[in-house]
Amino acid sequence: MTTTTTRPTFETVTSEHSVGYNAPQKMGRRLWAPMWALGLMGWAVGFVLAIVRANEISSGGSEATIARLSHVVPAFMFLGFLGVLTAVSFAIARILGAFRKGGGDVQETVGPVETLRMPKTAKAFMALMMMGMMVLAVTVIIHLVVAANVTDSNLVSTEQWAIGLEGFRRLGVAIYLFAITLGLGTIIHVLRFQSIRVRELRRS
Amino acid sequence: MTARLESLTRPSPSDDYRGNTRHRSIGFGLGLVGLLLATVTLIANLAAAAGVETDPVSAAETLAWSFGLTTVAFATIKVAIALVLVGILVRLWWRVESVKASLATLRSPSPGAGRGAGTLETLYGPATLTATTPPPLPVHTMAKTMWFPMLAMGAMAVLIGFIASLVWAGDTTSQAAAAWTQGLQFLGEGMILSGIAFLLGSILAGLRSGGGEVQETLGLPVTTLKMPTTAKLFVVLMAMGLMVSIAQFILYLAASGAPGATGFAAWSAWLGPFRELGLGLILAGIVMALVTIGNVLGFQFSRIRDIITTGQ
Repeated sequence: MTTTTTRPTFETVTSEHSVGYNAPQKMGRRLWAPMWALGLMGWAVGFVLAIVRANEISSGGSEATIARLSHVVPAFMFLGFLGVLTAVSFAIARILGAFRKGGGDVQETVGPVETLRMPKTAKAFMALMMMGMMVLAVTVIIHLVVAANVTDSNLVSTEQWAIGLEGFRRLGVAIYLFAITLGLGTIIHVLRFQSIRVRELRRS
Repeated sequence: MTARLESLTRPSPSDDYRGNTRHRSIGFGLGLVGLLLATVTLIANLAAAAGVETDPVSAAETLAWSFGLTTVAFATIKVAIALVLVGILVRLWWRVESVKASLATLRSPSPGAGRGAGTLETLYGPATLTATTPPPLPVHTMAKTMWFPMLAMGAMAVLIGFIASLVWAGDTTSQAAAAWTQGLQFLGEGMILSGIAFLLGSILAGLRSGGGEVQETLGLPVTTLKMPTTAKLFVVLMAMGLMVSIAQFILYLAASGAPGATGFAAWSAWLGPFRELGLGLILAGIVMALVTIGNVLGFQFSRIRDIITTGQ
């Protein structure tokens, strides 16, 4: 049984027991490590392919192969960034979960538990993170599709795709980074609430 | 220097802990500026892609300054992240003051038998037990000293690299301008990310000494987590990433002297992913730092519960 109250600055939920982790925090706890590993694997593959491409250029290899690799290399490098930036986001969600569960557990030992409702910055953090992920994932897929269709007759359009997709990749990373800023900003909000709340606790 | 930086991250206990600091709002504003700059570079790239067949010279010019501006955009958002992290540090110290004040009244009135010095196993890993707050680890002292110089040097490198990108846009055949732009800007990005990593290290240092202060103030033996594997990985990955960022800068300068456009293109073909790998390694280290912070927080909350329920 929970009741909702609104403070001048903080919107909270009051309950008898600690509310524990919410769904995104549970997801963050489970998925940060696989995403981190995906990042490392993406960069390893991308870097090896980049060396292959450099070798093709210096040895006067086929233009179609070089153009194909110019799409495959960024696809894997940015699959790596997708993985690691998602891992950063999940690790931030994990920290927010530590505050939510830990704060609740401490309050439970002395009385009713007040938990912050999910702040707007946290909602924006999740929305932007998903948006950044979509932009990067779609870009990676298109890179691979373009690479699969490279022929000697469409090298110019292949380069046009490479330039355009580069812009989208950058935007995807920028969206991710901004989402991370919002996620970290949410931690400031939570810390402020907890600093006030912990002083309100009295042994019942 | 360290004392001046400390005053930026540790508020006076007399300050109002309920007030709002401006780190968050300024950080969000700065982040938004970075996002807008990245959008401008997307439009520039789309224009260059459309013109690459009809006017390749203009397209190359656009791509040169667009590269410089993109890195400025990323650097702006990363500086915003750093500012928010400073805000978190400030708030962590207020949390320490609040927990100190609160635990003094909440602590169980019938404490059990005291514990001696030594080591113990906790749910969050091995910990040490000492009479007083343990001194900061060398890596913590380094983090607290280095975060600001790294951020400042990184921002300067990115801005100088942006000027180099304008020179590159003026002469798109210049290998030197291309090399300086890419090498310097990614060195700057690496430094800014390292500054962020050092700030996360400062947060870990703050959690360690703050937790110790709370326990020591209550007259309790101080339980401190030993450095976990994730924290060690954080240090290793960050150091490797910074070394790669420095190496790519030197290699770009070497590549600028490569004979002919083909030679420079071959160098650039692997140096591009190499510089990205450098940033990636620092980011991978940052993940480890965040995971460590999550674990330390879990440990601290469980410690607070113990103090409330058992008095120990």
